[in-house]
Amino acid sequence: MTATLNTPVTPVTDRTNRLTSTKKGGQMVADYWEDLFTARERGKQIVWYNGGALNPIFQAAGVAWCHGEAFAARLAAQGLEGPAQLAGAEHGYNAELCSYSRTHLGCAVLTVQGDEGINTGVVGAHDQAELASRLPAPDFFVNNYAGCSTGQQWDEISYRVFDKEVPIFNISHPFLWGNKPDSGYLKGEEWESASHYVRDQLLDLITWLEEKTGNPFDWDMLRESMTYIKKAAELRREGLELCKAKPAPATFWDWISAIAPINFLPGNQELVDYFQSVRDEIQDRVDKGISGVENEKYRVYFDGIMNWNKLGFLSRKFAEHGVAVLAGRYITNAFWQEPQLIDTEDPLLGMAQHYLLCPTNHGTKTLDYLTLRDCEEYDVDGIVFHSTRTCRAFTGPQRLLARSAQNNLGIPSIFFEGDVADASFYKEEILESRLAAMLEGIDVKRTQAS
Amino acid sequence: MSSGAAALEALRAVARDPRSHIEAWRSIHPDRKVLGVLPMNFPRELAHAAGVMAVIVPDDQEPVTEGRAFLPEFYCGYTRNLADQAATGRFDQYDALFVADHCIQLLGSADVVRALEPTRPVFLGQLISSMSDPWAGRKTTEMMVTLRTEVETFAGAAIDDDVLAASIRSFNRDRDLMRQIFDARTAGDTAFSPVELQDIVASAQIMDPDEHHDLLAQVVADRAPRTRDGRIRVHLSGHLCHAPRRELLEVIEEVGAVIVDDDLWTGRRYLQTGMDESLAPMDALAQWYGGRNTALPCPTRVQHDVDWDAWLLDAVRRSGAEAVVHLMPKFCEPHMLYYPELRSALDEAGVPQLLIETEHEGIPLESFRTRLEALIERTHRNRPAYA
Ligand code: SF4
Ligand code: SF4
Repeated sequence: MTATLNTPVTPVTDRTNRLTSTKKGGQMVADYWEDLFTARERGKQIVWYNGGALNPIFQAAGVAWCHGEAFAARLAAQGLEGPAQLAGAEHGYNAELCSYSRTHLGCAVLTVQGDEGINTGVVGAHDQAELASRLPAPDFFVNNYAGCSTGQQWDEISYRVFDKEVPIFNISHPFLWGNKPDSGYLKGEEWESASHYVRDQLLDLITWLEEKTGNPFDWDMLRESMTYIKKAAELRREGLELCKAKPAPATFWDWISAIAPINFLPGNQELVDYFQSVRDEIQDRVDKGISGVENEKYRVYFDGIMNWNKLGFLSRKFAEHGVAVLAGRYITNAFWQEPQLIDTEDPLLGMAQHYLLCPTNHGTKTLDYLTLRDCEEYDVDGIVFHSTRTCRAFTGPQRLLARSAQNNLGIPSIFFEGDVADASFYKEEILESRLAAMLEGIDVKRTQAS
Repeated sequence: MSSGAAALEALRAVARDPRSHIEAWRSIHPDRKVLGVLPMNFPRELAHAAGVMAVIVPDDQEPVTEGRAFLPEFYCGYTRNLADQAATGRFDQYDALFVADHCIQLLGSADVVRALEPTRPVFLGQLISSMSDPWAGRKTTEMMVTLRTEVETFAGAAIDDDVLAASIRSFNRDRDLMRQIFDARTAGDTAFSPVELQDIVASAQIMDPDEHHDLLAQVVADRAPRTRDGRIRVHLSGHLCHAPRRELLEVIEEVGAVIVDDDLWTGRRYLQTGMDESLAPMDALAQWYGGRNTALPCPTRVQHDVDWDAWLLDAVRRSGAEAVVHLMPKFCEPHMLYYPELRSALDEAGVPQLLIETEHEGIPLESFRTRLEALIERTHRNRPAYA
């Protein structure tokens, strides 16, 4: 459960060449959390939300926002998830339950339990040192989870942990299953009708927020923030495209570092400047032939939600083997990944579409198309599947995707175990031995081909 | 053998060997189709009215072998078993698969069926799960219409409203009869053992409702009520989507308990809600779906003013249950999420409880026995001294 219970970790030489520009994003994110922790003191109302990036709507509604998964991920990345998970376990949440939800629900339990919490509206005041947080209690919940049923139930439980006293709004997302012959990625009747259904619910959410906050919704602010977000997303896409170069100028791990900014920071010029600098640094590396890992020998696709406890470690581990991890479902096919869908004058439809495009909201048919497309475009030698123990949404299709990659592209793959926010599920020996075996296999194939 | 005993034997045979029953039906109806549906909310009435045999695909208790290659081991036993059925050709019995629910593990298993059985249509008609939304009723009605159209296309026949109304009556009649037995158990009648009740419900999930009703009516006619004895009265809670192992039900009664009520899928959850025959059939379907979560709350649905824990406490009061055994299939996320709500409600009410996590691949029966014995002993202490 805690970061201290890890399996032994092999010392790894650092052969990464991480982007320097992403550091700035780290600072922006740290500032954002600091800002959130003091939001109540500044008279702000606070929303806890899950799933797709609703932050532009909250920004325009004048409330401060806390993304549940992001907060759980942050605790895990800092090795601080222990107290919240312990509180969750004592409350009765099983260790096999999605560790994002378990961590976040643990925070909710701490908030409700802590005497000081009740008085100050601050999560687990007793545990602040460990949590390194002063997460304010919510004034509202908004659920925006697509694909994974757990996401919707998790918020309903948060609502119950707070004794049903915090209002909740739920957005329903049709799963993009691909029933009809005309259905496919970004097309077909199913896609069109789901897009409009979710857009209509966003309008209802806006009315609901106006009622709850007593503030008129600032449509100009929404347009403005979506203009910045669209620009940032375009720059992010350009950067991702540039990573198809050989050697790859930046890796999956750099993009992982850039997730928080695109996922929940306010839409503003600073965000655009940040992605501009990331993109420019990558372009500069392409121009100079600088690679993201020392001596790139292998190119690999990574499938699975992130193992936040192991971020730095995993990036070093792959680099040590000369593996450039280039693309992955979690970065390439998530987080405002289709900015052309956003009409900045009337952004709700494009926003709804992005929520529906959550990579857990597609049937395997579409995921297969996206995975094969990306594997070909990034010219990868293999796929690494992070068998993310408590995230059934991500892991469900993985075996089928592995089979398809082998059958259609002749690309081998390996699975290793881990989890989003529970370090105890990570098995170092399994990753090491399977990775070594896959790389050997790739070597043999290359020798035969030559 | 009395006719009632023979009828029960027939139901038991279907519950324990659904494959043979489906094959027999096919041989009698060579031109008709068999539709597999996944739990828990697909209205089989639609398929029945289209002349299709709609079977709620049961977990067949075979160990998972080839299916391992398609779903991770941390999916619930039911869904891994479905993947295994598809991987080993055991899914061949069905001409198509229809899904109306959204549990991510269920969808994962349906996707495996779709990938491995490309000629079999796999249709997801996702019923809204956020029940408090103002548009929930409208979306349910829309989806019922979609499901009807899809069933018609699959069956190659239009559904007549009068025929649909007749199907609704048939399923209602069968559910009503089962509910009578369950209600009698709640009121103190132990004429049926928990395993018999499970076989009765499990067979209803497979059979034609009229055929099932006729057999069940014979069983009921043959069985005299029996008054509950002084054993500890237990409510069984959970086990969504598939049946718990029969040995487990037996062991609960062996250690000195009598099961007085449940909210299991192969129990009260399946039969609790009827359809309103006074409504137009499509309205009845939609209202049934909306009402199911109120009649017996489900953790895969979210509805702010409906509480599984409150329902459970009421059920415990109605049946006089003295303890609750939670049967949780390992990795069932909706159940894991709601369990603390149930636990604290029962704790506050002073109702002893025990959580048993079940696994698809066998169960550690002896360790369960010890824990159940401890629960029974603890519950005995709750009884007034004169009892
Ligand atoms: S299981 Fe995965 S997709 Fe579902 S709520 Fe948890 S982290 Fe999100
Ligand atoms: S609700 Fe539970 S038992 Fe049913 S498919 Fe989902 S995880 Fe499995």
